[in-house]
Amino acid sequence: MTRHFRSWIMAAASVAAMASASPAFAQDVTEISVQRFFGACDADFGTNTDVSKAVGECGIITSLINKFNADNPDIKATVTTVEWPGYDQLTAQFAAGDPPDIVTVHESALSDYQSKGLLLPLDELLATVGISPDSFTDAGRGGVTKEDKIYALPIDSWTMLYHINLGLFKQAGLLNADGTPILPTSVDELLAQAEQFKQKTGKPYFVQNLANETALFTRNLYTYLFQQDSDFFADPTKVKLNTPEAKKVFELYKAIFDKDYTTKNMDYGAAIQAFLAGEGGVQLNGTWVVGDYNASAATAGTALNSGGYAVYPYPQLFGGKKAQYADGHTWAVSNKDDRTPEQLAAIGKFLKFFADNDFEWSRTGHLPAFKAVLDSDAFKALPHRDTLAPIATLGTPLPSAVQRQFAIQDIIGEEMGAAVTGQKEVDAALTDAESRINELLANL
Amino acid sequence: MSNVRSTSIMGREFGDRVVLALVIIFALIMLAPVLWVIGLSLKANAELMADTNSVFRTPYTVMNYFNILANSSVFRWILNSLIVSTGLTIGTLVLCSLAGYGFARLNFPGRDILFVVVLLGLAVPEQAVLIARHQIFGILKLHNTYQGLILPGLSAPFGVFLMTQYFRAIPKELDEAALLDNASRFKIFWKVLLPLTVPAQATLGIFTFLWSWNDYFWPLISGTKNTMFTLTVGMASTQTNFAQSEGLGFLMAQAIFAGAPILVLYLFFQKYIVTAVSGAAVR
Repeated sequence: MTRHFRSWIMAAASVAAMASASPAFAQDVTEISVQRFFGACDADFGTNTDVSKAVGECGIITSLINKFNADNPDIKATVTTVEWPGYDQLTAQFAAGDPPDIVTVHESALSDYQSKGLLLPLDELLATVGISPDSFTDAGRGGVTKEDKIYALPIDSWTMLYHINLGLFKQAGLLNADGTPILPTSVDELLAQAEQFKQKTGKPYFVQNLANETALFTRNLYTYLFQQDSDFFADPTKVKLNTPEAKKVFELYKAIFDKDYTTKNMDYGAAIQAFLAGEGGVQLNGTWVVGDYNASAATAGTALNSGGYAVYPYPQLFGGKKAQYADGHTWAVSNKDDRTPEQLAAIGKFLKFFADNDFEWSRTGHLPAFKAVLDSDAFKALPHRDTLAPIATLGTPLPSAVQRQFAIQDIIGEEMGAAVTGQKEVDAALTDAESRINELLANL
Repeated sequence: MSNVRSTSIMGREFGDRVVLALVIIFALIMLAPVLWVIGLSLKANAELMADTNSVFRTPYTVMNYFNILANSSVFRWILNSLIVSTGLTIGTLVLCSLAGYGFARLNFPGRDILFVVVLLGLAVPEQAVLIARHQIFGILKLHNTYQGLILPGLSAPFGVFLMTQYFRAIPKELDEAALLDNASRFKIFWKVLLPLTVPAQATLGIFTFLWSWNDYFWPLISGTKNTMFTLTVGMASTQTNFAQSEGLGFLMAQAIFAGAPILVLYLFFQKYIVTAVSGAAVR
């Protein structure tokens, strides 16, 4: 027994010694840590390296990283998946001095980390792997540029859209002769069309998720403030929301709510179900559901299949700049003192790989962050991209120097939600939103 | 006489039936969300995205459960949760029993003040000490370790209070009798008093284990590496961005999967849990 035990110990020690002595076992592999949201889908794509077969955000990003690891046997990208958006963990990791090498960050959240010196400026690294910021779309470049430096690799631009049930639009008499939907060009026209829609179909014009929701309210407000040329963040450290422009937007959505032009008391999941079940004409949702809705429209027997599905940017309701709020996903790189040149080179390869595969990522429904992909025939051939392409120029983020944009989104959403649903006077909600945000920004 | 007895029985039976009916109704109301979750977990995500009422129609599938198992990290997360919850439960029981005995039986300078200080811990919310604790653990390199996940929970003022009260309720004559038999302080604690506190230990142990198993926030910011995720954090990380719509069946299967060990625990320790809860209510 003892002799057997000794033999096992000796064998184990020999294997360990061989492993440490053999370059093939351990020495040549450079490990980098990657942290991302978008969920886990190992059951379907855990070992898939054929990216063209992957679908959805999770499937495509999982397959892309699998392919990167397969194509680069000298690099091991170890992935940690975090619950969306993962900023509590990331902040904690930075505080503990143990951040991941590469991490998904929204363009709107980059400033929170960049302003504290936690992110690595990428100008030099991108240059070494042959990525020029000139190749980014304007929206992508604007989103990752802080103080004239590039702080992340943009991988997409996303925004909110008008997802339209064409069957109900036809019933409401809101289709052009060529089958395209008639969209409003002013607030009055929107309300008139919503009334016409309600009269003819007996259903609300909008399907909105107004319950347990803040982001939708805020993104709507930003879009229509941009369209009124309201410079509400002229000073990135102080917001001006108690303005006639903001009041117009609040009152527009309150009128939509009061006149029953929208679904009520629905959360995000319920609103999606309602739209897919044909319970309203327009759903306000993001680029990420285009693929799902398109698939539903192609399925016989569904509400979208009977009359068709179309998707458009928000209509221009005001006379100012043609714009709508947009954000984007990026890969950011943490500042680390103990990073080796090999690890930095591996990070560069990782970023280059994602830049080269931005088309695959754009199949999610998001708009590409690279001009060449945006202009490519392959991208234009994807469903509905012809109507979505203008987002590349319409898409407008908040000024990049504005910090705590996720927290600001929650405050505006709470106050606007309270005003729209009648729990608070519009003026009071605007005043409270402005003061709460400014208090937040004053205490950074 | 007979009539009176009969009326009494009838009355009692009628009352019992009303109570029973109410209990069944309330039990069904309590059970409905669980049944709903189980139903959703047995449906395909795509079907649920279009209509959650499809839960009342065939076909059903167990693919959501297979998809959980296909994630190779799940068993690691279960192991992590078991290590953390078990370690925390054992540690809490040991420390709280010793502290409770000390406060209840030993006379030492500043005992009452120290006891008040411990009880003040009940009034301090976790969030108030979170940043400082996170920084200290960072300096001590305790993040992404089991110690880092277990240690904060060992500070359990409620447990100390509970055990102190239990020890105080045990007659001191038992200690005195043991002392006459020349037993040491530790022997009295270990052999005489501790066995009498088993109900309190069960209460504290079960509550500590359940709390630790369900804890989310501290593991979220301390165990940030995939290999150190507990089940709650790991399960949350697998949700897609808009899981409530696009992966509803999978999400519900996760809920069942994460809750199953606790349900098993409840089945085994039902007697103690009921005693613990009713005991806490009476006390």
